[in-house]
Amino acid sequence: MNTLPATKETILEVRNLNFYYGAFQGLKNINLDIQKNTVTAFIGPSGCGKSTLLRTLNRMYDLYPGQRAEGEINFGGENILNPKQDLNLLRSRIGMVFQKPTPFPMSIYDNIAFGVRLYENLSRSDMDDRVEWALQKAAIWGEVKNKLNQSGLSLSGGQQQRLCIARGIAVKPSILLLDEPTSALDPISTGKVEELVHTLKSEYTVVIVTHNMQQAARVSDYTAYMYLGELMEFGETDQIFMKPVRQETEDYITGRFG
Amino acid sequence: MDKHISSQFDAELGSVSTRVLELGGLVESQIRHAVYSLSQFNSEVADQVIATEAQVNSMEVEIDRDLSSIIARRQPTARDLRLLIAISKITANLERAGDESEKIARMVKSIITTGNARSLPSSELRIASDLASGLLRKALDAFARLDVTEAVSILKEDDLIDAEFDGFVRKLVTYMMEDPRTISASLDLLFVAKAIERIGDHAKNIAEFIIYVVKGADVRHIALADVESAVK
Repeated sequence: MNTLPATKETILEVRNLNFYYGAFQGLKNINLDIQKNTVTAFIGPSGCGKSTLLRTLNRMYDLYPGQRAEGEINFGGENILNPKQDLNLLRSRIGMVFQKPTPFPMSIYDNIAFGVRLYENLSRSDMDDRVEWALQKAAIWGEVKNKLNQSGLSLSGGQQQRLCIARGIAVKPSILLLDEPTSALDPISTGKVEELVHTLKSEYTVVIVTHNMQQAARVSDYTAYMYLGELMEFGETDQIFMKPVRQETEDYITGRFG
Repeated sequence: MDKHISSQFDAELGSVSTRVLELGGLVESQIRHAVYSLSQFNSEVADQVIATEAQVNSMEVEIDRDLSSIIARRQPTARDLRLLIAISKITANLERAGDESEKIARMVKSIITTGNARSLPSSELRIASDLASGLLRKALDAFARLDVTEAVSILKEDDLIDAEFDGFVRKLVTYMMEDPRTISASLDLLFVAKAIERIGDHAKNIAEFIIYVVKGADVRHIALADVESAVK
């Protein structure tokens, strides 16, 4: 059952992280280590801060006024909360896929190539290879290889989401953040995305926010349970789901929360 | 335990736990009847024990079916999951304790038919059999209350039954050496004694799963002293 890599290596280190929406404190003193080549899931009831925490990890919150983070998120030897951090570079290293599929209104090919062109200057044939590679990785190549010039919006919801994942990995990030990536998908598409998450972790580190506890149990190596902006419990997924330490975690995962 | 958001889930867990206690009650009476048939050399009571076996088997199957259904529908976790796994194991242990009492009943019938066991110390099995059926009852009580302290005391008491069994075997051996004509009947009694000893083991297994439900610690195959530190 345990598929953890043999050696632990922290890729992302969250220290004393506090986050504020104006006067409201959304995250309270979060400390967390994300291990390289693992899948970490954030679970918890609505409003617990799990998506907020995910959005601090690549500073997605910077897009919104009045939101600020304090503390440290150390990645590659730097605190990414530093105001001098190059956000575009950061987001190419730490990619994100959202709850609703967000294909660009352009061809399937360009959906993938668009991000790559921002960071790399590839020849036509190298770009073709990269597009195919990303679509292969995202397990959607077979379904789209004959219609790369069609609009990304012509795909089904599940295909669009895998297209977005392909777009996320095309720029070869170290970490992929998934914010409820399957909440708008049917069970078959969900299964494909979960399978994809499993195969991605040999090369990437994945952090996933999910409302679906069984999904966290299925795909993750580590699980963090959050409640009211606090990290209540963090541990190996097997331990969290078989024998959580805290009563609050137990109540939530067994459906006694309320 | 606190209530689930889904009261239907609570009802399902409650219902399957009650079924386990019903099965336990049935097996317990099976054991008492088997022991009674031995002490009285009563063939009719032995027949009753054998007849009850079919009912025990079908209850085991029903409980397992309910468990599968709950697991499929509810995807239980943590304590709920441990409870369902424990119920599955407890049910299997109860069914096998029932098998042992059926074995005793069959031996009693064989002893009555051959008629030469009356000179043997069969009444001395009484102590061990009372201990064993008492232990099973305690195990069921401890399960109903999810009482870890009681479960630990059951683990200790099973050692008493094992000691009784060893003593009885030594006694049988002296009978067999004195008069080889008792060997056949002594072997029947030996199987009875072994069945009683096994019933004690099943009660002990049930106690171990009660500890697993409450503490999340798997205390099978570890020394009693380590069990006591694991449940602290």
